[in-house]
Amino acid sequence: MEPESSLVPSLDELRALARAQGVEPTDADLEGVLGFLRTVLPSLRELEEATQRDVPPAGMYLPDPEAT
Amino acid sequence: MTLVALAAAIERGDLSPREAVEDALDRIERRDAAYNSFITVRAEEALAEADALPAKTGPLHGVPIGVKDVIDVAGTLTTAASKVLADNVATADATVVMRLRRAGAVIVGKLNTHEFAWGASTTSEAFGPARNPWDTERICGGSSGGSGAAVAAGLVPGALGTDTAGSVRIPAALCGVTGIRPTTGRVPNRGVIPVSWTYDTVGPLARMAEDCALLLDVIAGPDPTDASTTPSMAEPCLDGIERGVDGLRVGVVSHLLDGVPLDPRVGTAVEEAIGELASLGATVERVDARFLRRAEVVQQLVMLPEAAEAHLPWLRTRLADYGADVRARLLAGLLLPSSAPVTGQRARRALAHEARPLFERYDVLAAPEMPIVAPRIGEDPVEVGGERIAYRLSLIPFNSPWSCLGVPTVSVPCGLVGGLPVGLALTGRRLGEATVLRVAHAFQQATDWHERRPPDAV
Repeated sequence: MEPESSLVPSLDELRALARAQGVEPTDADLEGVLGFLRTVLPSLRELEEATQRDVPPAGMYLPDPEAT
Repeated sequence: MTLVALAAAIERGDLSPREAVEDALDRIERRDAAYNSFITVRAEEALAEADALPAKTGPLHGVPIGVKDVIDVAGTLTTAASKVLADNVATADATVVMRLRRAGAVIVGKLNTHEFAWGASTTSEAFGPARNPWDTERICGGSSGGSGAAVAAGLVPGALGTDTAGSVRIPAALCGVTGIRPTTGRVPNRGVIPVSWTYDTVGPLARMAEDCALLLDVIAGPDPTDASTTPSMAEPCLDGIERGVDGLRVGVVSHLLDGVPLDPRVGTAVEEAIGELASLGATVERVDARFLRRAEVVQQLVMLPEAAEAHLPWLRTRLADYGADVRARLLAGLLLPSSAPVTGQRARRALAHEARPLFERYDVLAAPEMPIVAPRIGEDPVEVGGERIAYRLSLIPFNSPWSCLGVPTVSVPCGLVGGLPVGLALTGRRLGEATVLRVAHAFQQATDWHERRPPDAV
């Protein structure tokens, strides 16, 4: 498992990511997001390692054979 | 009067649709200042619609219904309890509203909700908190808090809510009414403001399981023009609801009674309710299903990005108009790694595979709906079994598993702790609403918790 610090982006990185999507959060907004990410990113990494990557995601779109 | 009883009284001619609607509007006018359960009351429109009903319509002929303010009613505001949509007038009925109207129901108003149906307290910064009829200093739960309050207070006999991560079940439990989250896809979502495409569903709240069964039979069913619905047909819920529980197998989800923070008084009430099911003839066994705790993070990984995507145009132009809690969740969804929703959906499929034997062995799973009774408005963190926990985090273990699996869950009143209601959650197989409502109905035939009313209910 990587240390938490290598998983969590910086405030500036988050701001740039939000701006790239046309959203302008405040610093206080981004601090809140950072707090959430510190909790959830290690869990995400654990799930990535625990799930088999060849399992198709639920809700996957399957083309209708009659429409193709 | 319960919804089924009112529908029967109108059918017998004991009162007219106009009288039924006038009664509801009068109760709302007199009492709702205390609860703030309605955002919009459609008084003139509802009376005109009651007058215009043909002599005979359907099973809800003349019955007044409230709908959560994320569900469109043509010509009426849909605010989602948000500044962002404060002036948003719906141009068409949601599919569920069309189906209610076709069955003869009259929509008397739009009910308060947590902003954009995303939160479990119904304390909108823009529209004010909905107040719990059992104690108006306490929350109603949410996000369908106005729906729970209006039914509990007797303002309307039935209401529609929506449920993404517990939003029908939580207010049902905290307000002492019955509410069912149906199988995801069984009820059309067209005309409903989304939280999360793969988790959202509309669901009814009412006094009794048979009321919910009637409402669900009216609003459920495939819609070939709506990709959110499943084409699968399911058993109707009201027919056969009297069949009892004899021979059914009930699995008691052990870790939700002894493995996560829980008010022991709530646990005792739920254990006694499960004992009642056993005395009615069900086979009851405790089951180890701790793997379901993975659903808690899986739901966040999928729900947050889906919600952020749904809100992206408003995040770009109206970010400051969101309440602080919803804005924070939406931004978290926007800024999660792109792998999050894919990993979440993959883990969700694995979870469903792992849960399959549970649903093969048991007809119904039983657990507390909530770990606590209704907290005071603004009380957060809350005390749960001696621990201080964020309110939102306290309820996730009890709600996310069933949302994640997309299976039906009903919350039924099963006790009072300190004068406040406790809910028993009964969860069934996919499209197994008829079975969970049958068990809920049997429980309500043997107990009177659903008949207990808040102090000033009308």
